[in-house]
Amino acid sequence: MATVTLKSFTGLRQSSTEQTNFVSHVPSSLSLPQRRSSLRVTAARSTPKLSNRKLRVAVIGGGPAGGAAAETLAQGGIETVLIERKMDNCKPCGGAIPLCMVGEFNLPLDIIDRRVTKMKMISPSNIAVDIGRTLKEHEYIGMVRREVLDAYLRERAEKSGATVINGLFLKMDHPENWDSPYTLHYTEYDGKTGSTGTKKTMEVDAVIGADGANSRVAKSIDAGDYDYAIAFQERIRIPDDKMTYYEDLAEMYVGDDVSPDFYGWVFPKCDHVAVGTGTVTHKGDIKKFQLATRNRAKDKILGGKIIRVEAHPIPEHPRPRRLSKRVALVGDAAGYVTKCSGEGIYFAAKSGRMCAEAIVEGSQNGKKMIDEGDLRKYLEKWDKTYLPTYRVLDVLQKVFYRSNPAREAFVEMCADEYVQKMTFDSYLYKRVAPGSPLEDIKLAVNTIGSLVRANALRREIEKLNV
Amino acid sequence: MSISMALFSPPISSSLQNPNLIPKISSSLLFSTKRFSLVSVTRASSDNGTTSPVSATVSEVPKPTSVAVKEAPVKSPAESSSASENGAVAAAETDSTTTTVIKFENTKWVNGTWDLKQFEKDGKTDWDSVIVSEAKRRKWLEDNPETTTNDEPVLFDTSIIPWWAWMKRYHLPEAELLNGRAAMIGFFMAYFVDSLTGVGLVDQMGNFFCKTLLFVSVAGVLFIRKNEDLDKLKDLFDETTLYDKQWQAAWKEPDSTTGSSKK
Repeated sequence: MATVTLKSFTGLRQSSTEQTNFVSHVPSSLSLPQRRSSLRVTAARSTPKLSNRKLRVAVIGGGPAGGAAAETLAQGGIETVLIERKMDNCKPCGGAIPLCMVGEFNLPLDIIDRRVTKMKMISPSNIAVDIGRTLKEHEYIGMVRREVLDAYLRERAEKSGATVINGLFLKMDHPENWDSPYTLHYTEYDGKTGSTGTKKTMEVDAVIGADGANSRVAKSIDAGDYDYAIAFQERIRIPDDKMTYYEDLAEMYVGDDVSPDFYGWVFPKCDHVAVGTGTVTHKGDIKKFQLATRNRAKDKILGGKIIRVEAHPIPEHPRPRRLSKRVALVGDAAGYVTKCSGEGIYFAAKSGRMCAEAIVEGSQNGKKMIDEGDLRKYLEKWDKTYLPTYRVLDVLQKVFYRSNPAREAFVEMCADEYVQKMTFDSYLYKRVAPGSPLEDIKLAVNTIGSLVRANALRREIEKLNV
Repeated sequence: MSISMALFSPPISSSLQNPNLIPKISSSLLFSTKRFSLVSVTRASSDNGTTSPVSATVSEVPKPTSVAVKEAPVKSPAESSSASENGAVAAAETDSTTTTVIKFENTKWVNGTWDLKQFEKDGKTDWDSVIVSEAKRRKWLEDNPETTTNDEPVLFDTSIIPWWAWMKRYHLPEAELLNGRAAMIGFFMAYFVDSLTGVGLVDQMGNFFCKTLLFVSVAGVLFIRKNEDLDKLKDLFDETTLYDKQWQAAWKEPDSTTGSSKK
């Protein structure tokens, strides 16, 4: 048993060259090569111990996902390397983190620039609804600067024992055998500005791809593509008296003028506001949507100066393949951004941590080699924990972002206290709370009523058009 | 409508040079002057700068006269003409950077909501006209998106209009239509089945196949009301299952879904 590696590989993908190295436990009726659609994953208890070294894992990308993954790996006793291409990267991002993230990741409170406790939803006909009355004293949405948060998580990873390298991942060579290492090719920057860096290679046993929406790791494992939204944002410094209005308030604008399938926002940041919008289907018109968003908020940001313009892609759904052999994707690289709200920071950090935990467990704290089965455990756990959340948000987006009447109904529904409580509970604590059935029925009736009324008004509008 | 268009065009071009024309036009009752001053204001502002004091005065002018203009028969030509104007206005608005604020104004729209007392007819609120006014306001805003201000927040909630007003206006006519269709289909199906099989109406109701046919025809009448509904229903069904499929793709074999971006 020590020399011959016996593994049950029922249903896992394997290249034909690996067949010669081991005997699989599958029944004889299913002889190689196996292509099964149903997966029965069993842990590979029989992988050999690594005799003289710890498991080496590389984390590509040093954002929230990479930082959280590297920290958990290092704490679990694994030799970790974190490769990040730009240490002071000021990511274009909404920057909102839920309350549970502060607790779960032990974030110091000074990382949070602002605590948003009020939100205003504004419908296409400018009906404004305030939400946040149901929040308790200690509850808030934290607004952070990405460069501060990312740097903090990376520092913590380094303190736990990970090696942080400033470099750009180029490509990786896949291993020939099931236990050969991956060879990573990367360019290391030595800190001098303007230098092109030196090409280097590194051998690792497993890779976590946390390099964001345009992930190179994803490309190298043929993970497939996803639909993505373009989010366009302008940072505007507004006069102090106008800034007090946004002290702890964020705004969401919905409407066909602002975005056909998303929303426009005004989020307060440390000393300025971020005004932006996004879209999936009409990416070419994003500038028009941005103008419309600024127009809708015009009175409140009058006299502001644009200090920065930024745009970034937001994945809309996971990639078809989120892992391949000993490479796993986490965060934006995997496509873990929710619909409807477009939230990604918490899910990136959580998926990084979950993947790292799966590696730590599968390798028994770095003593054994891991295989695809261990990484599949992370996928299973992730899907089981968060798929309901993703599904609910997808339904919300489909129902309420369809058209202007639907958005009007959406804003009307947000005025309801029960809705506010449920929304904030599920956002702040990331659990789809059951709530009381009677209130749910009332909510369903009210939702249908709002939708019917809004659609009736749209029919009236169409009659006026004639 | 063509008459109104013809009457519109000379004032537009001349307003660029001659602001004195505007007061004359505003007194004419054929057009909703609020719409009209808007057109001249936009043209003026796209001229950049010189006419901004004029536009400030112009926006004051329509308010006292707008009450007189709000007669229902006069409104329909005004609405249809303003519909085309709104399109032009919206286009002009987005490319000029120094537009003056053009807001939705209506005497019945008070403090961000409709003043129901002004909608009374014979001592009771005329909900139909509230609905129509709100529809006009939304249409106006769709064509000319406005900024939101904290000084004049919009507070109107459609749920103040009672449910029976909505039913009377929208549900009942459509229900009548659908019931009529169902009755005709039902009668002819019953006759047809009877002539083919000899089974009378009462005996048909005892037969499983006939009951299924009845169910299918009722569902068809309910869900397929226009020709486009057939495709819409199919798309809806695909949509509901798409997200799940995208998540399950990680658990399927690689050759089936590579880079599928069907949205």
